[in-house]
Amino acid sequence: MRDLMLSGPGRVVGTTLAVLMLTGAFFLAIGRDPVELMGLIVRSAAGDGYAITESLVRATPILLCALATALPARLGLITVGAEGQLYFGALLGTGFVLANLGATSAAPYMAMIVVAMLAGAAWALLPAVLRSHLGVNETISTLLVNYVAALLVTWVVYGPWKSAANLGWPATADFPEAFKPSTFFDSRVHSGLWIAIGLAVLLHWTFVRTRWGLTLDVLRSNPRAGIAAGLNWRRNVLLTMALGGMLAGLAGILETASIQGRLQANLSAGAGLSGFLVAWLARNHCLRIIPMSLLVGALLASGDGLQMFANVPSSIALVVQGLLFVAVLLVGGYANRLQVRRG
Amino acid sequence: MHVSLAGITKRYGAILANDDVDLDLVPGEVVALLGENGAGKSTLMKILFGFQQADAGEIRIDGRPVVIDSPRAAAALGIGMVFQQFSLVPALTVRENLALGHRCTPWWIGRGARSFAAPVAHLRDIAPEIEPDLPVSRLAVGEMQLVELAKVLNLDAGVVILDEPTSVLTPAESERLWEQVRRIAAGGAAVVLITHKLEDVFACAQRVAVMRRGRMVATLDTSSVTPDALVRLIVGAETVTTAQPVERTADALPRAWIKNLSATTAAGAIAGVDLRIAAGEILGIAGVSGNGQQTLADAVAGLAILLAGEVIVDGETLQAPRAEMPAQSAVAYLPEQPLRNAVAPDLSVAVNLMLKRIRDLPWRSHPSQFDADARERITAFDIRPTDPRATAASLSGGNLQKLVAARELAGAPALIVACYPTMGLDLGAAAAVYEALFAHARRGAAVLWISEDLDDLLRYAHRIAVLHRGRIAGIADTAQATRRQLGAWMVGHSIDVAAEPAHA
Repeated sequence: MRDLMLSGPGRVVGTTLAVLMLTGAFFLAIGRDPVELMGLIVRSAAGDGYAITESLVRATPILLCALATALPARLGLITVGAEGQLYFGALLGTGFVLANLGATSAAPYMAMIVVAMLAGAAWALLPAVLRSHLGVNETISTLLVNYVAALLVTWVVYGPWKSAANLGWPATADFPEAFKPSTFFDSRVHSGLWIAIGLAVLLHWTFVRTRWGLTLDVLRSNPRAGIAAGLNWRRNVLLTMALGGMLAGLAGILETASIQGRLQANLSAGAGLSGFLVAWLARNHCLRIIPMSLLVGALLASGDGLQMFANVPSSIALVVQGLLFVAVLLVGGYANRLQVRRG
Repeated sequence: MHVSLAGITKRYGAILANDDVDLDLVPGEVVALLGENGAGKSTLMKILFGFQQADAGEIRIDGRPVVIDSPRAAAALGIGMVFQQFSLVPALTVRENLALGHRCTPWWIGRGARSFAAPVAHLRDIAPEIEPDLPVSRLAVGEMQLVELAKVLNLDAGVVILDEPTSVLTPAESERLWEQVRRIAAGGAAVVLITHKLEDVFACAQRVAVMRRGRMVATLDTSSVTPDALVRLIVGAETVTTAQPVERTADALPRAWIKNLSATTAAGAIAGVDLRIAAGEILGIAGVSGNGQQTLADAVAGLAILLAGEVIVDGETLQAPRAEMPAQSAVAYLPEQPLRNAVAPDLSVAVNLMLKRIRDLPWRSHPSQFDADARERITAFDIRPTDPRATAASLSGGNLQKLVAARELAGAPALIVACYPTMGLDLGAAAAVYEALFAHARRGAAVLWISEDLDDLLRYAHRIAVLHRGRIAGIADTAQATRRQLGAWMVGHSIDVAAEPAHA
């Protein structure tokens, strides 16, 4: 029993059972038939071609933000800053677009991506420098600067960058076609999904097969011993945070350019925080992050279907996401207790 | 309270940690439990204290079988244990620490703890000079040990287990602890002293129980046994080789110069430490723990930011922090508490053995490629388990020491900083580490050796410097050094000796 609970598959089965029970209990508590609602979630998330592509659309920024969380986590840093880095990337990326509205070639498109990624890195470097040089807790500081980035976006879309063409709706002007990533067939799925999956595989390989991955493992396990062995902890704090910020910034500009077509407030729809959840669920394992973000993306995408067909608020999906988190905590905690007790 | 352990058997995977072990603990008697690392002493005591459950066998108290399934149950039965790793809260005062687990303490102790007298009653007995309202973080290691002991006495324990209590104490502190141990026994408690040191046994134990490879090989009256006989029992048929002292090379040039070093770390401060170590010289640093040893070692190894001074090796100035030094470092560092300071606990033994070479690896590297290399060193230093993929955290304290020694003593460092390199090692393993360390001295390395074991220092070091409150209180050639003199320096007497520069 102990070995089963401690094994990977054992945990997955245990977690699945726990989340089914918790969700079922929640649906019963709000007076609905659990089987019916769960079936509806599955159908709304993956019932037909449209549902599947919408789930993939939702999963893309979550996947990038999960990678943005996992990178610093390889060094033992717990950051929740993907949300803010996403906003800041979208903000400066949009600024670049607005300055080059007439562009038609591919060069400005690439430049927009680069600008957004650098912006995400810059936003991540702020708490990173505080951490590496002043010892400020990175979890708290990344959480706080998230609000600043989100509010900056709100300010520009209500204020200086608000487009008159939107008839009062707080948003910037629409992006020209040259700045929109290519999409697949008729769907809204854009090339960002493949980029994100490719990056996840590349990062996984880097972590397990390279000197840098080993360096991060050592510094995470014991910074003191790593520093004594001549490894540079500070530089790696800055590096992992900045690279993570780049990925979140990329998520921000792709979401803005491809899905929304213009910068508006609340563009992340919680992708940064869902990404944190996913990274945590996957225990920062970059390959496991891929299916986990697809799962969580599908779950969140099902919210609209629930609202339409079952007459329940779409935020039900957020509740289920939360219960998923609780289930993992429960099962993980139980497994750890088994491990401790049996020595 | 008469406790008897009968037929205790405990298996961890393939290893039989305790094999049908019997042990009687009689009120008023001190039993020394001896054995090498991994002989099963700690497992046996963990079973008695409820941390582990025996697979077979039973524990009886006054003839009645009892089940001890947690340390809480053990405490309720009057069994108390003082661990090697202290369990005091550094930020709280001595009194608050003692009040924490005390039965007379109400739940609302808060700041009012100052007024509680009952919890410190035992402490007053055994160490009247410890100020109860001082934070624990300001105590010396020896004092913390006494506070831990007072905590156990507060339980009105009928059985007191001490896990290697003298391993971090000065001679004077050890003597004092022995006296307390004898007193506790005289008061009617049964005392178990887990130890490596024979002097502990002869100082205060009436009976000695020797374990080897999980079995109880002998239980004897201390008065009827000689130290040589005990050593033979501990190591079995194997012969014990002690390390050979290193001949001192005359007129060797200084290889390492610790020049007027001042530094402050969380562990303490040093000021104006000036030491020159010749090629092939072993310079011992004695002193009561907490007088700046760790800061000195960190500063020399480049892990502490220097306030002043330099470390010069082979004419080259090594600057702190270490991270800015060239990859092939001339300094090998064996810090104290290897688990905290020198290994990556959740990585494999193989990775930990090549920690210092990570920066020279090719970009594409995978931990499995170090296994062959690691096996060699695991064999050379007799690290157990022998699996290079085992995590460092799964190693015992002694094996971690061996791991760090195996890593740091590879190659040809010019300066070696070794802090308590044999702490927790049994006699055979300690001799092996000394041999490896001294081989570098024979080769011409400068060795800075921090220890609290005066016997070993007097035996192997060429000179001994004493650190007191972060300063060198005195330095003497081992040939001329006396314990009295060193002891006086340790407590800060005749500090004026330090005023004269004492160089090689």
